[in-house]
Amino acid sequence: MTQAMTQEAPASRDKLSEKMSVRNLDFYYGDHKALKSVNMKFYANQVTALIGPSGCGKSTLLRVLNRMYDLYPGQRAEGEVLLDGENILDPKLDLNALRARVGMVFQKPTPFPMSIYDNIAFGIRLYEKLGKADMDERVEKALRGAAIWEEVKDKLNASGLSLSGGQQQRLCIARTVAIQPEVILFDEPASALDPISTAKVEELIDELRRDYTIAIVTHNMQQAVRVSQYTAFMYLGEMAEFGETDQIFTAPKERRTQDYITGRFG
Amino acid sequence: MSALQAARKTRSAIAMGLCYASAGVGLLALALILAALVWNGFSGLAPRVFTEMTPPPGAAGGLLNAMVGSLIMTFFGVLIGAPLGLFAGTYMAEYGRGSKLTMVVRFINDVLLSAPSIVIGLFVYEITVVPMGHFSAMAGAVSLALLVVPVVVRTTEDMLNLVPGSLREAATALGLPRSLVIRHVAYKAARAGLITGLLLAVARVSGETAPLLFTALNNQFWSVNLNAPMASLPVVIFQFALSPYKEWQTLAWVGALVITAAVLALSIAARVLGAQRTSQ
Repeated sequence: MTQAMTQEAPASRDKLSEKMSVRNLDFYYGDHKALKSVNMKFYANQVTALIGPSGCGKSTLLRVLNRMYDLYPGQRAEGEVLLDGENILDPKLDLNALRARVGMVFQKPTPFPMSIYDNIAFGIRLYEKLGKADMDERVEKALRGAAIWEEVKDKLNASGLSLSGGQQQRLCIARTVAIQPEVILFDEPASALDPISTAKVEELIDELRRDYTIAIVTHNMQQAVRVSQYTAFMYLGEMAEFGETDQIFTAPKERRTQDYITGRFG
Repeated sequence: MSALQAARKTRSAIAMGLCYASAGVGLLALALILAALVWNGFSGLAPRVFTEMTPPPGAAGGLLNAMVGSLIMTFFGVLIGAPLGLFAGTYMAEYGRGSKLTMVVRFINDVLLSAPSIVIGLFVYEITVVPMGHFSAMAGAVSLALLVVPVVVRTTEDMLNLVPGSLREAATALGLPRSLVIRHVAYKAARAGLITGLLLAVARVSGETAPLLFTALNNQFWSVNLNAPMASLPVVIFQFALSPYKEWQTLAWVGALVITAAVLALSIAARVLGAQRTSQ
């Protein structure tokens, strides 16, 4: 399956463009150093999976990419993270503008306490003034994009909380897609979902690759194989190995990568 | 059955008996109060209670001015106190979570929450009635506001703390600035709880007598002037109940029945709203 997907990739491997680039990134929770000189790249229109044992820093890395850690005092990053060549760790950066470009989907579905329609329209209204008809169109497009339109089109005024967990997660993806970001970060998006919902979300991620650059943190190695073209294996806050998913899972260069993917630890 | 188990069973039965007895005593007291109110107040309940002013001794009359006075002062008390409490609670839960200032404010707020209301009344008397040289409805509203603030601060902080952090992160991830995250997501998620807190605050202050005694005083006549003394149900009840006149005493019972019914209705409304929040 991975083979098939990579062959369908729009850009050939040689011409991949770097969307985001992490350079010598250190990250601190207070005095605790959680990331140690991490280097890696996120290529445009590719899915990059971050894997590794709990506490290895993969979620931390993801939360640097949209500066989510800024919400919490005592957390800081050093180094460089480039988005289209611009350093997003720059203290003068407009964080809200960054987050509009780099969207995020969380582990637990987090629909807002409002209607399904407003869950989508809410974010759009922040950035654009649209008439009713245009807004309806955008909401539908986002819901279709997240493969949930057919399930909710007759109850757009129902609360987002009334949906099942898998539907809520796709609603959250629709909400993220609706504001037209360039990069989407997924933090274990399927770990709270049943297998059928997981399959739907995975298919969706593969489709979204056409328009977005995607980073996904996952504990599930089969999932990494299924959805990603590139994989970064992190261990104890370091980037242990980064490369094409095929290579990481079939011919890892590092001993600890091999130990992890064969289930010897983690 | 072993001796150990038998002993445990006995102890359990004794503890359970004590629990039932305590609950029974509490309920009995409540039932007796309600029964006394209905018994003594219901007979005096007539349309004129809602249409006529408080009478002079020996004449017939109603409680209209007192009811309107209570409504006005409660309204302004909540109008002043609720936003203060809402903003303070928002600061504590959203901006200053875990900060020193928050801990200090929470401590002071807890003190204020349990401060005897007569102390609040005396305080407001000193800072408003004395400099102004006369009692006024506004002073009454201010003293009620001081009772509203701690209740609203407490419920606002508690309710906002219940809003999961993941919801705030999700809103932030869409590029929302902090203020919009709070207004559009946190308040919305906590709405039922916030309204419940407000209703509880209204229920609490609408029955307060002591802070009004020193501030709004009382007024036997119709007055909606905020700068003049104003009648209120609790103060009228207090005054009429202690009087030697039969008509006044009856009106005091009617007033007590009316105010209890109103507070009961508010409390039930608060409970229903609270239940909706948890079932969401």
